[in-house]
Amino acid sequence: MLMGESKKIVVIVDNSPSVQSLIMRGTQGLDIELKSFDSAEGAWDYLQSNQPDLLFLGVLMPDKDGITFLKELRDSALHKDTSVVMISSKDYAQDKIIVKELGALDFLTMPMPISAVTNMAEKYLS
Amino acid sequence: MGQSYLRFWGVRGSHSAPFDTHLKVGGNTSCVEIRDRQHVLICDAGTGIIPFGESIMDEQDINELLIILTHYHWDHICGLPFFLPAFSADWNIRFFGPGYSAKDIETHISAQMRAPYFPVGTETWLANINCLEPTNTGITHGPISLSYKNVHHPGLTYGYRITVAGKDVLYVSDNECLYLKKSVQQEFAHLNDEERTLYNEMQKEEHGMELKLLEDADILIHDAQYTSEDYEKKKGWGHSCYVDTVNTSIDAGVKELYLYHHDPHYDDDAIEQIHEHAIQIIQHRRSSMKCHIAREGLTVEL
Repeated sequence: MLMGESKKIVVIVDNSPSVQSLIMRGTQGLDIELKSFDSAEGAWDYLQSNQPDLLFLGVLMPDKDGITFLKELRDSALHKDTSVVMISSKDYAQDKIIVKELGALDFLTMPMPISAVTNMAEKYLS
Repeated sequence: MGQSYLRFWGVRGSHSAPFDTHLKVGGNTSCVEIRDRQHVLICDAGTGIIPFGESIMDEQDINELLIILTHYHWDHICGLPFFLPAFSADWNIRFFGPGYSAKDIETHISAQMRAPYFPVGTETWLANINCLEPTNTGITHGPISLSYKNVHHPGLTYGYRITVAGKDVLYVSDNECLYLKKSVQQEFAHLNDEERTLYNEMQKEEHGMELKLLEDADILIHDAQYTSEDYEKKKGWGHSCYVDTVNTSIDAGVKELYLYHHDPHYDDDAIEQIHEHAIQIIQHRRSSMKCHIAREGLTVEL
């Protein structure tokens, strides 16, 4: 990294501490700054004024679900093109179609090896 | 019949089953009426809403309804094109279901009523129709209040907690219990120790959310579509094996369970066998939970 160049920002939004640990573990070897939020509402303050380089977004959250939150993000000018990877144990074909229509780049289905998170982050941060 | 009750108008999942071998349980798809005096709430609008609509037209003192939809798969909305109150000018009907906005809900409801799939659109509905905006604060319909949570089924799908006549009635028509646990079991051999620890923790968290969804229900109406044998072939279709439904309900402290959203391929005898085995599971676990088969026409006093 060149002097003065800031680290890439990766954000994870998921209510599950284990999912947050999985993303943390999968990205720990990368030169990034990771920010974790446990709900869409909790992430909203940050995302209103910041565009991360990559956003991992959980689908099945108890309050606002990830699909609705992704729609809201896409409605804001700042996040029209934000790179988003959905993450869930809920991996039905219909979910994948909906999030693809909302411009999600990919869908990580749990359980997957930690290396899958690393590969996904490297792919979309490069 | 008392002033507060629920009634099953349609109990099948996927598609209707109008076969004489199936009619002790019932052939219509999802629809449950929940009533507190003149306040009527309808859960889902499968073919069961058609006979309900014909019946309610005879009640002179009722002209308002709230219809809540778990999602928009056909078996949950396909009765609406034939729902008489919608075509009657003196009715007020509110709809709620998954969607980004009221307009979104309206779009989903009306999508099936257009050419070439149906001869007339929802513009021919004469009733005063309103779709409700999404809310975090819950919905009320007279003395009935309700909240909703996302459940494990394709697309946005809600399970509802309905408080009526002092009881919590949960309506969770489509929900695949213990999905992550089964996925982890399938993949276990391919995971390293660190991943196994992580996913064991994750499945406990997800199960905790499932239990929280169902906890302390006085009455739970829940997806129990498949036998264990059929579930093995249909894992990932968004429906539960009845064994998982029964065990999860016991774990969540449910008082009374109605097995619902029956597979249309199962005849009356097959569903009786499911019920008998469900009772055996409950006895084996020394639970006091009551368990019934949701049958078309069955009325439960609240």
